[in-house]
Amino acid sequence: MSEDAERDAEHRDQEGGEANEAPAKESRSRGKKRRLASEGLLQPVKICKAELYKPPTSEELSRLKETENLFHSNLLRLQIEELLKEVVLKEKRKQKIDAFLHQINAALSKIPETREADIADQSWLPKDVKVPFVQVPFTVKGRFRFLPPVSVKVVGSYLLGTCIKPAINVDVALTMPREIFQDKDNLNQRYHRKRALYLAYVAHRLAKEQLLGSVMFAYAHGNHLKPMVVLQPQEKDAKMVTVRLYACPPQGLFKASRLHPSKNNVRTAWFTEKGSPVAGADEPPTPHYNNSILCDLMMESHLLFLSESASDFPGMRDGVALLKVWLRQRELDKGFGCFNGFLASMLVAYLLSKHQINRVMSGYQVLRNALQFLASTDLTTSGISVSKDTDGSLPTLTDFHRAFQVVFVDPSGLVNLCADMTSSKYKQLQFEAKHSMDVLDDKTVDGFQLLLMTHKPLIRAFDHVFHLKHVSKLQAACRKMRLLSELLDHSGNYVAAALPFLLSLLERGLAQRVLLLTHSLPQVAPWPINVDPPKHKDTGPLSFGLLLSPDFAASILEKGPEADCPEAVEFRKFWGERSELRRFQDGSICEAVLWNAPNHSQKRLIPEQVIRHLLQLHMDIPESAICYTGALLESVIKLGREPAGTGEEDMVDVVRSYDDLSRKLWNLEGLPLTVTAVQGTHPALRYTDVFPPVPMKPDYAYYARNKDREFLVPLAEKPCPAYVAPMKVMCHMEGSGQWPPDKDAVQRVKAAFQVKLAELLYRQHHLLCRPGPTYTDVYKDGYIFRLQVAYHREPQILKEVVTPEGMLKYQDTEESLRLELETIHLPFVTSALHGLQQQHPAFGATSRLAKRWVSAQLLSDGLSEECMDLLVASLFLCPAPFTAPSSPQVGFLRFLLLLTTFDWKNSPLIVNLNAELKDEEYVEIRNDFVAARPRLPALFIASPRDRRNSIWTKERPSAQILLRLLVLAQESLRTLEEQLMDPLGNQDVKVAFRPPLDFYDVLVHLNPKQIPRHLQAVDRPVKSFSRGMLQSNAAVKTFVFPVVDYDPVQLYLQELREAFDDLALFFYDKHGGEVIGVLWKPSSFEPQPFKTSNMRGKMVLAAGTESTVPNVAAILEDFEILGDGLVRAVEARTEKWSI
Amino acid sequence: MATSKRKHVKGGTSVAPTGYTAIPVKFSEKHQSPHYLYVKEHKVRENTDPYRPPNRTLFILNVPPYCTEECLSRLFSGCCSVQSVEMCEKPKLGEKPEATESKFFNTKTLLGFKVAYVVFKSPAGVQAAQSLSAQGPLVISSVNHPVQTGIHKWIARYTASVVDPAELKKEVDVFMQAYDQKVAEEDAKAENEDGIPDEDGWVKVTRKGRRPGLPRTEAVNLRALEREKRKRARKELLNFYAWQHRETKREHIAQLRKKFEEDKQKIALMRAQRKFRPY
Repeated sequence: MSEDAERDAEHRDQEGGEANEAPAKESRSRGKKRRLASEGLLQPVKICKAELYKPPTSEELSRLKETENLFHSNLLRLQIEELLKEVVLKEKRKQKIDAFLHQINAALSKIPETREADIADQSWLPKDVKVPFVQVPFTVKGRFRFLPPVSVKVVGSYLLGTCIKPAINVDVALTMPREIFQDKDNLNQRYHRKRALYLAYVAHRLAKEQLLGSVMFAYAHGNHLKPMVVLQPQEKDAKMVTVRLYACPPQGLFKASRLHPSKNNVRTAWFTEKGSPVAGADEPPTPHYNNSILCDLMMESHLLFLSESASDFPGMRDGVALLKVWLRQRELDKGFGCFNGFLASMLVAYLLSKHQINRVMSGYQVLRNALQFLASTDLTTSGISVSKDTDGSLPTLTDFHRAFQVVFVDPSGLVNLCADMTSSKYKQLQFEAKHSMDVLDDKTVDGFQLLLMTHKPLIRAFDHVFHLKHVSKLQAACRKMRLLSELLDHSGNYVAAALPFLLSLLERGLAQRVLLLTHSLPQVAPWPINVDPPKHKDTGPLSFGLLLSPDFAASILEKGPEADCPEAVEFRKFWGERSELRRFQDGSICEAVLWNAPNHSQKRLIPEQVIRHLLQLHMDIPESAICYTGALLESVIKLGREPAGTGEEDMVDVVRSYDDLSRKLWNLEGLPLTVTAVQGTHPALRYTDVFPPVPMKPDYAYYARNKDREFLVPLAEKPCPAYVAPMKVMCHMEGSGQWPPDKDAVQRVKAAFQVKLAELLYRQHHLLCRPGPTYTDVYKDGYIFRLQVAYHREPQILKEVVTPEGMLKYQDTEESLRLELETIHLPFVTSALHGLQQQHPAFGATSRLAKRWVSAQLLSDGLSEECMDLLVASLFLCPAPFTAPSSPQVGFLRFLLLLTTFDWKNSPLIVNLNAELKDEEYVEIRNDFVAARPRLPALFIASPRDRRNSIWTKERPSAQILLRLLVLAQESLRTLEEQLMDPLGNQDVKVAFRPPLDFYDVLVHLNPKQIPRHLQAVDRPVKSFSRGMLQSNAAVKTFVFPVVDYDPVQLYLQELREAFDDLALFFYDKHGGEVIGVLWKPSSFEPQPFKTSNMRGKMVLAAGTESTVPNVAAILEDFEILGDGLVRAVEARTEKWSI
Repeated sequence: MATSKRKHVKGGTSVAPTGYTAIPVKFSEKHQSPHYLYVKEHKVRENTDPYRPPNRTLFILNVPPYCTEECLSRLFSGCCSVQSVEMCEKPKLGEKPEATESKFFNTKTLLGFKVAYVVFKSPAGVQAAQSLSAQGPLVISSVNHPVQTGIHKWIARYTASVVDPAELKKEVDVFMQAYDQKVAEEDAKAENEDGIPDEDGWVKVTRKGRRPGLPRTEAVNLRALEREKRKRARKELLNFYAWQHRETKREHIAQLRKKFEEDKQKIALMRAQRKFRPY
């Protein structure tokens, strides 16, 4: 006790308060940082005992407590602080921006007034500026003149301090003087035209200013009614800030009651340019038009409201900034109908006013509460209002709901802030919020990284994406659907008018098939002031994203109501001629739509059929206008003639045959020991084989025949026979005292079993078998299964070591580890992944795409199959921040993303197969990992039965291969996403599967004749060779054992690697590659001293020196000699290396 | 280096480290660039390598992958008749050729560069072999003695890989018989010795017999230790004394601190990698 006290006193003396200690700490941490930066590797933390156990200061305690209360965890708090530091504006930049704003203000006040003219008479406007407004119809009443703004005010996020990098926008509102306006300016776009003319003149004058780098026009949030002037400083500061000039009317210019959502302000007669108004005819309400005017009117009061909310509330500033980052990462914050930063601030202010948050909350809590609110509130059905007025003259929420899809009313009670948002977009927002809350509550993941640092573009987040190539097609759709009043309301913006209808049509048609349907937000880039404003059709392609429901997306039947009920008419009308009467098994006769999809890969595309059909039927959008990217990538795993499936059916057949075999093995009579388990370990048995085995029948004419043992042998002069992959099946035998406790003897007994198995299978089931010392090949249903007898104690026996003291110890040996891998781990992984496939139908195809890609990049020998399977499994088991992929395409993109973004150096990838791991175990695995990092493989995957060793990545990939893989993944991901998101391009997705060859030092070109898997190549050869196979349905019975597992290229590679392993690396695409890439190891050309142990393919440099170098010329000849008959040419790119 | 190498070929002399002689060797007549075999007389300390007689054994380094034992035998038979050729992956001591060499088990074909020991019938062979360097490169595969590589070789290997089940069964039976016999003998011996003290008076306790002892394995030892530990833990009282309370609190704060430090380190690392830029 006394010792403790003493030590404490000592500490206090030493420290003399926090202040003295701080610099010491600082320097230490800086030292640490330097070390970290240099290595980029986490070290286990070592703190000396004295420091760890010193009594806490009150500050420290309070900080620890605060963290507990206000933040999720310490790490999260630190992360958020860092993030805010990164995005919030620095003081220095702020000062520069302020100065710039002052200059603009001065420039604005200098603009002289102009003469009065009709709105339609724009001759006064200089020629170097075009009115930033689509003036259709052109003529409109009213007179306009330019007068300098009454006031110039900064509004929006810059003042609130919620403005975040990278795009710093400062909104400046110019209040137009009252004199410009006349009565009834609210009608027929008069206000908007004047506003546009006003801004046009401002832009014209500002363009002459020296201080500005660029003056452009842009639409505010993609709204064609609302142009704004975008200013950027001179070149070197161009990135510093973007100033956006809005024009707004003076307070109270229009009577609010005229602009209620139920009022009409755009006359049909004027809009359609058809004579005089028909008296007494009802004009449709124009809520969106009205709302756009009201927005401008309320601009200032909104700012006031927000700044009031933000006062004494530092958490709001942080919270809004975080919320903006969150929105930005989800691409929700830009474009027409977005949930922008302003809305985010309003939402926080609303929550504050409703006391759902309070002023002492931290930014993190604000974010959390906002997300919670979004997740639980459906603004499409129960809108909210910030307004406290109970004034009866204001429109009610019901009025708003009638006019808008999403309702969020501002403090004045007049403006719907979410007027342009579609309900689909809100649903997406809500979905994201809900999902984010789950992620935040999940202790096993890094919520910060997933929510705030991960970008979720449409193509990565959604299973299927399709594009409307030309939005102009929607104009015809409007006509077809008779959407005149909507067009009126949106002032001719047919995209905005048709979009909600299109979405609801698809939602109804896709129904259960999709969990979520969303669309990209139309956006228009800023344009120079001397160019005509972009038309509605210039918003570029419109993209839609579908999140598929794994259970229903692929169903081929759309069952409708019974034929005689009244809904049947409706159903028929909706589906058109696709609907037909069908009789069902329960005897009912119903309307139904049956989609044509013979195989899995086409079933995955049923949503495409639905969409194309409905859009054509109801909206006159031709098929050619739709670019559907759901399965473009799948062509690389297709094989065979059209309509080629992607192999799912083949694998089901394989599994069926395997099941039958295992049943036969179980029931085999006459074995001395019983079979306790049969476990298939081939990738096809977990649905992840790139090209699954197909049943085959050999054509005898193509082979030589070994007479005495009845098997076929390939002929050297014929093309190499098709490759038949043996499927490994473990056959566990019962444990018994009869097994000898000696490893050599066990081996013999196993061999005896192999022979016996073959004999019994042939005798009892007439299966062709070929026993060997370690395995038995069984020819069944055209497949080859490779049976391997296993004895569960054998690894144990291999491990036995007797110490000098006579103690029996178990030590891992290379042999025992390999055997454990084969008999324990591989069956476990196979069965777990087989289970995963049942839950996520897209798993298999995703994994196959991933493997195909790796192999196309010539890296398949650098990575084990299981490693890739586990990588892909992790995408399904831990998909956050995305949802588990339901289409192979998006799964594959995420695989590439995982490779590029995961911090392989500092974190283990934990694949929780069968959900066997608990939260604490995650922590344990991570801690063990950090402690042992330098000894662990470059790519570390932990799974429930393999927590510390990462057995599947132990030997491969090496750090260099991993690095190469990551580089390639990044490049491929970029190209692929570009291709997939560009409907007007050629969409050649195979680009990502064609490896760059300029990287290799030597290319060994192979003779296609001897490549058995030539047809599997990414770019399928137009013609190949006949490879001694009959059609699988040929009426021939096979009596002679076919050629199994014979691939000359693999044998060649094996020899090359054995011979030149220490000099070079060999790369090959096992799926039909025609080239072997050879890369010299960088160190191998350096002269090395003569040693008897490393004289492999080397020669002595010069007499006396005794240093040796590789005998390259001879080695290049060796490449040809070893591959005699297979190698076509060896191309040495000597320009790449010098010796 | 490429140029210097060409010089070798033209000059016809090849350089070798001291003690060794370089013998150029190429696959066939039409090939240009030879590999070099580095040969010397096999010399080790007396009696350490009884199966490679001194004077008569030639030690060869850098034997190309396609060069088989028969090849070497043929190439060097010009010097003197060859008694045996042995190839291995790296230099090692010769072993007695195993009597029960199995045809099916533990077989491994060497595919890469190898080292070889050639034993001549008479010591003159070694000298003669070393003089081969002066002549043109030796040719491995000639018209009369073709060596198979590539497709032909692989097809041959494929054919050879298929075993005759009857033969396999026979070998297994023979092995198992021998094994059973061996085990039976050992058992009998152990039974005879059971309970009989050796010359120092110690009695060996085995798992068999009337009073079997504990097996001497690591697992058993660990289990015993574990049991001890558990026994001790049961006796201990937790959170009983005031100091224990204090300890736990201190431990808690220490844990938090440690976590904090770790987190700070992580953050520093991420900052260094610019991981906080959400764009």
